[in-house]
Amino acid sequence: MQKINKNVVLALLSLTSLVFLLFQLYYYKFYLSQKNGAAFSKVRGSQSGQDSTRWHVVKKFLGAISSHNIPVYLIDPLILGLIDKDIEQIRSSPDGPSPECKYFCAPRDFTTFALLDKTWKHEVGLLRTAEKMGFQWLKIVNKDPRLDGLDDLSGVEIPLHYIFKLASHAIHLVVFYERSGNYLWHGPLRLKQHMDRKFVPFRKLHFGRYPGAYEKPELLLVSIDDLKVQIPKNPSSFLEEISHSRFLECRYREARAFFQLYPDDGSLDAVEFRKKAKSLLHLAALTLNNLGVKFWLSSGTCLGWYRQCNVIPHSKDVDLGIFIRDYKSDIIPAFQKAGLPLKHKFGKVEDSLELSFQGEGDVKLDIFFFYEEDDHIWNGGTQAKSGKKFKYLFPKFTLCWTEFVDLKVHVPCETLQYVEANYGPDWKVPVKTWDWKSSPSNVQHNGVWPVDEWDDVIQIY
Amino acid sequence: MDEWKPNPAIKPHKKRSWYLAWKYKLMNQRALRKLCQTGAVLFLLVTVIVNIKLILDTRRAAYEEEEESAQDYDDEMLNVEVPRHPVSNKKVLDVEVYSSRSKVYVAVDGTTVLEDEAREQGRGIHVIVLNQATGHVMAKRVFDTYSPHEDEAMVLFLNMVARGRILIFTIKDEGSFHLKDTAKNALKSLGSQVAPFLSWRDMWTFVGKKGGEVYGEKHAKSPALSTWGDPVLLKTEVHLTSVEDAECHWPDTELNRRRKRFCSKVEGYGSVCSCKDPTPIEFNPDPLKDNKVFDVPVAVIAGNRPNYLYRMLRSLLSAQGVNPQMITVFIDGYYEEPMDVVELFGLSGIQHTPISIKNARVSQHYKASLTATFNLFPDAKFAVVLEEDLDISVDFFSFLSQSIHLLEEDESLYCISAWNDQGYEHTAEDPSLLYRVETMPGLGWVLRKSLYKDELEPKWPTPEKLWDWDMWMRMPEQRKGRECIIPDISRSYHFGIVGLNMNGYFHEAYFKKHKFNTVPNVQLKNVESLRKDAYETEIHRLLGEAEVLDHRKNPCEDSFVPDTEGRIYVMFIKMEQEADFTTWTQLAKCLHIWDLDVRGNHKGLWRLFRKKNHFLVVGVPASPYSSKKPSSVTPIYMEPPAKEEGAAAAVPVVAAAEQT
Repeated sequence: MQKINKNVVLALLSLTSLVFLLFQLYYYKFYLSQKNGAAFSKVRGSQSGQDSTRWHVVKKFLGAISSHNIPVYLIDPLILGLIDKDIEQIRSSPDGPSPECKYFCAPRDFTTFALLDKTWKHEVGLLRTAEKMGFQWLKIVNKDPRLDGLDDLSGVEIPLHYIFKLASHAIHLVVFYERSGNYLWHGPLRLKQHMDRKFVPFRKLHFGRYPGAYEKPELLLVSIDDLKVQIPKNPSSFLEEISHSRFLECRYREARAFFQLYPDDGSLDAVEFRKKAKSLLHLAALTLNNLGVKFWLSSGTCLGWYRQCNVIPHSKDVDLGIFIRDYKSDIIPAFQKAGLPLKHKFGKVEDSLELSFQGEGDVKLDIFFFYEEDDHIWNGGTQAKSGKKFKYLFPKFTLCWTEFVDLKVHVPCETLQYVEANYGPDWKVPVKTWDWKSSPSNVQHNGVWPVDEWDDVIQIY
Repeated sequence: MDEWKPNPAIKPHKKRSWYLAWKYKLMNQRALRKLCQTGAVLFLLVTVIVNIKLILDTRRAAYEEEEESAQDYDDEMLNVEVPRHPVSNKKVLDVEVYSSRSKVYVAVDGTTVLEDEAREQGRGIHVIVLNQATGHVMAKRVFDTYSPHEDEAMVLFLNMVARGRILIFTIKDEGSFHLKDTAKNALKSLGSQVAPFLSWRDMWTFVGKKGGEVYGEKHAKSPALSTWGDPVLLKTEVHLTSVEDAECHWPDTELNRRRKRFCSKVEGYGSVCSCKDPTPIEFNPDPLKDNKVFDVPVAVIAGNRPNYLYRMLRSLLSAQGVNPQMITVFIDGYYEEPMDVVELFGLSGIQHTPISIKNARVSQHYKASLTATFNLFPDAKFAVVLEEDLDISVDFFSFLSQSIHLLEEDESLYCISAWNDQGYEHTAEDPSLLYRVETMPGLGWVLRKSLYKDELEPKWPTPEKLWDWDMWMRMPEQRKGRECIIPDISRSYHFGIVGLNMNGYFHEAYFKKHKFNTVPNVQLKNVESLRKDAYETEIHRLLGEAEVLDHRKNPCEDSFVPDTEGRIYVMFIKMEQEADFTTWTQLAKCLHIWDLDVRGNHKGLWRLFRKKNHFLVVGVPASPYSSKKPSSVTPIYMEPPAKEEGAAAAVPVVAAAEQT
């Protein structure tokens, strides 16, 4: 009895386990195929049908666009990546017929195009044409950020994104706006409550998770896969731009609240200083951009941006940060050439480097170099008379674009942590007396420079 | 599973030692077997559990993914579903109208759409127009028919209202004193029985459909001259018609869709909403060849004068070379009707929450508008600034296109303005002629971005300073000796007669007779001579050619200037120092030109036309051109009338100067 019982139970269990095992296998396969839809299952078989659908949808869309004379250009990272591989060939024979559908048939869910806002007007016409062609469309509008900084202006909402869907493919049309600072901006894609969340798999969109800032691209008209389309002249640098294009809007509302609490200094001195600081920042940005050195707003300038969207009038200097890995020896000569003489140089490239340039009318440009460690980033300070070294610690951060005094510049994306590290939790309260050796909440003593190095690491002009 | 737990009392054995050994052996074996069995069972169990877990996990992951797929993209603000107005199928509106000495009100279905009990205000006949299909208020006006001419305005307005609309009338205080027969007849034709007999201090309410039935009328006669009629309250019902009946049947085009939206909301714009022959809302004027201002943004500064805005935008959009895409209308306040007008023309409009009061409010509105303009058009080097009470000349953009390069190249220029303060019918003649002047006229002008961004914006007067933006811009601290270019014949016309610093009398005296160019495509002459140094050469040439007038005659008399045409004349007036405008002001007064402050001067020189002759006035000895005065000529001195009057006149000077 017992034996039989045992065997039966064992057999039963093995069976169940086997069933489960099979089920698991099946489910795993099913799950995988669902997840990587395009990449997995379409390698063979139904491929050509799907591919040509994409091509056809793009062709139809371009047809609708050109019938309304709307100049769009291709910004799809996937296709631009493919194009970039053959860019020489495409450039040299812009009209050559394509033997095979190489680019627009590549497996993907979307094709992304860009549109400059100022180059079009007839939205209604385009949408109607698209509808006639069988497209379903979704339009995403939002506030106009160019009016955000202004007290109490309420403009009409502006279109930020359009999605045109036909069959299994969708076109994502990103609207770019020109903004002060000579750059292009696109907005984030945010769905309002009544919108269809399943219209397309929004997560897979390449643009729209965050707002983005771009240089104005030069365009090139090419013919690929028998379609005429504009692309950025230099796809690889455009692709590079995409990867760190995230844009932060200044916190205008908070800035307004700040000025309610602490009214702005409207004195002539303040106006003058702001004007000088602005032109110094413009000059510095121009110089560093020409060198290709990435920089960001640091210390007081960063605080000014974050807290009040403006230069702090009593700050008396302009502060920039640069990663030491981006250091170039021609930074100093470049600034001198731009009319900004070196005022002092503390530290050395290996340790605590800091440069100071004399701007027009007593406004100083401080450039701090930042050193990256495993879990933090720091920059150094040096007291000239004692040779004492200081260290300012920051949590790790990445860089985002923003607009400041009509300039497109970088700021740490994690601005709050950055500002709090530097100015402590009370950064919202203006402080007029500031000692760079003791006031910052992230300052540490870092020993003293050896006397024999002083000539090198403490240079004052 | 309990079933095959080893039985502790299994098979007793005889030999203890053997038994023990065997038992151990057996137990070892058994332990092994047991171990195997338990192991297998455990393994199976774990497999099962893991499988179940896996299934559940993937299920959940897949589900969550679906859920979240758009979560990142959700709007942060939880948009509270806007409560839609319940689509009322109600066919009847309850209307209540009240008329009394000190208060009037109108309520439609319990909602007060008009209430006025302010003292010293709102006297006369209040008129409300309702949409006959929706019951929405389409227009609200008050005509002070106690005062002259207001009844004419009312008749004009009533004529513009489309047939079928519902009209509601009520009198506050007094509405009959200047209600002439034409107006009374107009009211009678609407169905009013009382209107022809309305008299002093009567109270009156009336509800009727234009060209249709009368819904009610009530009247209370004033018993005596010194008293008012008793308050009257009219309660009545209005039957709504269907939407189709209330709308015109224009062909379905994009333009007509805009028109339809507009016409179903507001009234009082005349033929634009005419069913039969609506006036166009798109103008397509001829494009300008080589238009240098096609990409220059145009900021239209507006308040709540939608009828003005309508007239202004019509003329602006009809000007040759206009680029509607560059036009932004900035409305000071959340007024619906101006926005409706903007949308009618397919332009973009921006509303501005009012900050501060009166002049400071206008000033803040200007600042926000200018900043926004340069934000919206970051490429622009200039902006055209217009106001809602201006007519725009057909060659406005042509005028700017021909002169804008000067503003770009000549640092000594402050602005280009379309307005000549001294350009009246009798003092302006040449549409192709331009001047340089030290005053900033405004009223349609071009602002350089660098001037605004670098100089004006940072120190723009703050809201608590109750300053006028234009007076501030004219201050030497801002102007810094720079000049504006203006045409002899203005390219804009100031038609507004209601405004912050404006009234009918003032408009009649200073603006009505202003000359306005209506000739298209005027080729400006000698634009290059407007540059700083070239202009001096030009002035010297003019003065060299000019004939000196007879200084013994009275300059106010017409005979002061000979009856010629096309000549150049010069006269010299006394001007002790740069700021001595005593004689000039008197001369301006008698010439009936702008005399409220000094305008249109260039280094102590004024240029205008008299009897079609170019007429130059030089202030001696302050002007550097005094050297051109023949030694025999004594500059004319004109005394201000009397001290007190001069002091009294100083008040309107400030008030009036603010306007332009």
